Amino acid sequence: MKEYLKEKEGLTPLLAQEEAARCLLCLDAPCSKACPAQTDPAKFIRSIRFLNYDGAIDVIRINNPLGGICARVCPTEKYCQKGCIRAGLDRPIDIGALQRFITDYEESSSYKALEPAKEKKDRVAIIGSGPAGLTAANFLARNGYQVTIFEKHKKAGGYLTYGIPSYRLPNEVVEKEIKHTLDLGVKIVYEQEFGKDISLDSLFVEGFKAIILATGYDSPRMIPAFLNNPYVETAVDFLSRVKNCDGKVALPDNILVIGGGDVAMDVATTAKVLGVKEVTCVVREDKEHLPASKKEFSEALEENVSVITGFNVKEVHENKVTFVGSNENITLNYQADKIVLAIGQKPSELPLNIEFDKDNLPVKNYQTEIKGLFACGDITDGDKTVVSAIKKGKEAAIEVMKFLEEKQNG
Amino acid sequence: MVKNVDISLDFLGVHFENPFVLSSSPVGNCYEMCAKCLDEGWGGVVFKTIGFFIANEVSPRFDNLRKEGTSFVGFRNLEQIAEHPLEENLRAIKRLKENYPNKVIIASIMGQNEKEWEDLARLVTEAKADMIECNFSCPQMTSHAMGSDVGVNPELVKKYCQAVRRGSKLPILSKMTPNQASMIPSSLASIEGGADGIAAINTVKSIINIDVDSFVPVPSVAGKSPVSGYSGKAVKPIALRFIHEIHSCPELKDVPISGIGGIENWQDAVEFFLLGAGVLQVTTAIMQYGYRIIEDLTDGLRHYLARHNFSSLKEIIGLATKNVVPAEDLDRTFVIFPKFVSEKCVHCGRCVVSCFDGGHQALTFTEERKVVLDKKRCVGCFLCANVCPVNAIEKGEKVLKKDLGR
Ligand SMILES: Cc1cc2nc3c(=O)[nH]c(=O)nc-3n(C[C@H](O)[C@H](O)[C@H](O)COP(=O)(O)OP(=O)(O)OC[C@H]3O[C@@H](n4cnc5c(N)ncnc54)[C@H](O)[C@@H]3O)c2cc1C
Ligand SMILES: Cc1cc2nc3c(=O)[nH]c(=O)nc-3n(C[C@H](O)[C@H](O)[C@H](O)COP(=O)(O)O)c2cc1C
Ligand code: SF4
Repeated sequence: MKEYLKEKEGLTPLLAQEEAARCLLCLDAPCSKACPAQTDPAKFIRSIRFLNYDGAIDVIRINNPLGGICARVCPTEKYCQKGCIRAGLDRPIDIGALQRFITDYEESSSYKALEPAKEKKDRVAIIGSGPAGLTAANFLARNGYQVTIFEKHKKAGGYLTYGIPSYRLPNEVVEKEIKHTLDLGVKIVYEQEFGKDISLDSLFVEGFKAIILATGYDSPRMIPAFLNNPYVETAVDFLSRVKNCDGKVALPDNILVIGGGDVAMDVATTAKVLGVKEVTCVVREDKEHLPASKKEFSEALEENVSVITGFNVKEVHENKVTFVGSNENITLNYQADKIVLAIGQKPSELPLNIEFDKDNLPVKNYQTEIKGLFACGDITDGDKTVVSAIKKGKEAAIEVMKFLEEKQNG
Repeated sequence: MVKNVDISLDFLGVHFENPFVLSSSPVGNCYEMCAKCLDEGWGGVVFKTIGFFIANEVSPRFDNLRKEGTSFVGFRNLEQIAEHPLEENLRAIKRLKENYPNKVIIASIMGQNEKEWEDLARLVTEAKADMIECNFSCPQMTSHAMGSDVGVNPELVKKYCQAVRRGSKLPILSKMTPNQASMIPSSLASIEGGADGIAAINTVKSIINIDVDSFVPVPSVAGKSPVSGYSGKAVKPIALRFIHEIHSCPELKDVPISGIGGIENWQDAVEFFLLGAGVLQVTTAIMQYGYRIIEDLTDGLRHYLARHNFSSLKEIIGLATKNVVPAEDLDRTFVIFPKFVSEKCVHCGRCVVSCFDGGHQALTFTEERKVVLDKKRCVGCFLCANVCPVNAIEKGEKVLKKDLGR
């Protein structure tokens, strides 16, 4: 049985050494090619194999400032482990577990892979402290830029802090990982909302030479039929409410979750872990096209969540929902004490004179059409993953540096 | 990041950008191989041993010793010296030095008589090698006038070192065989003959596996196999013992040593330095994993030096020598009892089995699978800690034997 506040144990040194020894040390390793953030698992696994743990820390931190978070939340089956050649022999190397072993080891040692830059270059403002904003800040600070992050919430981390449940990603881990970036001299100012407390003009006037928008997909999607229904809560509201009070919430006996992605699985598993007797997910897609990752789906099943696939919402009356099967002639009536909608997120309204392309802020090489305004993370191409936000944060930082250097050189 | 830790080393008057070189073997068999390894970061190479004698090699020529899931615990080979013509090898050495002027190119040579040793020394000097290594140590030569049969004969070693000294002014390393009770006589003979340093060890004479169905040792060459050289991780303890023997010998204590035998990672390397070795050489780990192991060797060494606040590699050479003492000098007055860390224990009972069957019957296992220590029986041998899979057994209380009535 899972506990809400307790993540599973990491590998012991013996098990880590054994897992690293399973690695085939492939030439031109496919695992490294498959990591969007270029965390280079083949290289750090080899360093573990040859007992060079500090070297493994370097490989992870230089490439991925949030490596300890990725170790816990990356859908590795879709990335590095998908490429693993060992999978053809028995099962892939547990790359996430090895990455966690090294970043946990790092926390217990005094070694630091990254040091603050000596020079002081231009000031850059970043809006939003999710993985995209944090990563951009880390790369800019390492290169001498003076970075301030403006965050509308009381805490940093975006969905790392307000979304992903504690049993997968405890807040202490998020705080420690963020500290690596703060130690480079990055400042975060809290409860500063872009559009309310600050604007593009105010930031430029204050002396910031470039601005990066990394505000994510921070508002939930709605189905109009559920609007103003007192039984309904959105997935991200539910998860952040639960995480904020360390799981100490009163919940009813029966919860209906609508949606079949990772967020829906997080809601369902969280509810089960917190003692809700019956949790049912009703999913529009059929079983083969379930959007959730295998890992999250099987975790939900382990907690005895019921998952019904291939049903769409037809009607809603207070706490009674009628679903219709994909072939239209089966209907399903469900009555729940509480309904959680997990049908995805979208960006919230921003006071910008830029037309969004569907829900995405259009960018070219991370530059928006406003000079000096860059964007990265979910806001540029949607509800993705932490590691893709990291990749984009890193690449956006490089574009900002190019822009500022060109400006400097006239 | 540890970019700034200096791991360069001056050895026999030659500057090595890092202390790791290929040892003489097929890993440095030709120009292309050596060029690739230097590009990947090795500090230098000892080119595969060359001579007027051209080896006619067998197939297959390798086998490895396994234990449980681990391959390459040790490695056995049937190779002799270079298979390529002498002129081709000399050209390769010359080209390497031309194209890699900042790397160290060491020529390993082996003659069949004084004249050949002297001529080879002259030829490799003309090819612009930085250093010469005399191979007195291959255990599987087809002629008894060469290899380890020479290396165990101090008179021959001295005579051939003198011949090499006549042929060249370059620094000379004499590469020793571990197939002798002590390396001191042949090492002293080398220095008397004109060598400047000692390289140790070459491979250990061995038979590692026998095919139990056909009764033929592996590798089987048409149903037969000789006694031949063993290398890799398993020989590291033997190599370290000989490095220590040389470095702690008063007449040899200032003689530079190039350490060889079972080096795979930075920790192995540091052990060699701590016992007095300078430049280190590697073969088997490269045969198993490739030249790329240099990345974690150099990086791991830098991290180690930085963690311990050393500013150069020189500072650690020989630091462990004084802690290796004769058995009669050990303090035999106390017993340390094992401490069982209950949070780590996985209750497998392996310690209990080993303590009874190989120790002193001091551990019992309760119904609840808890380990209980009987201090009256425990002698503090720590076999239990050696078999524990999770390091749950630590050093505990230290008690004087007289207080225990022992
Ligand atoms: C419940 C849940 C579980 C998830 N699980 C996983 C998982 O296991 N693995 C995985 O890889 N991905 C997962 N994801 C997706 C992942 O969290 C996101 O893709 C990622 O966080 C996007 O990063 P970001 O930096 O673009 O945006 P966000 O993380 O959304 O961060 C945006 C930040 O901007 C701030 N902000 C927004 N508007 C303003 C404003 N106007 N002014 C100031 N600040 C503002 C927000 O407060 C927030 O801190 C999950 C998402 C959710 C919701
Ligand atoms: C296949 C093979 C061939 C070797 N050939 C030579 C050689 O030609 N000359 C030599 O001096 N040593 C030779 N050696 C010995 C190595 O240089 C080295 O001394 C020994 O293998 C121990 O080091 P290691 O454990 O790193 O392999 C050979 C070793 C192997 C495995
Ligand atoms: S692909 Fe798999 S086997 Fe190859 S290096 Fe990566 S983890 Fe190891």
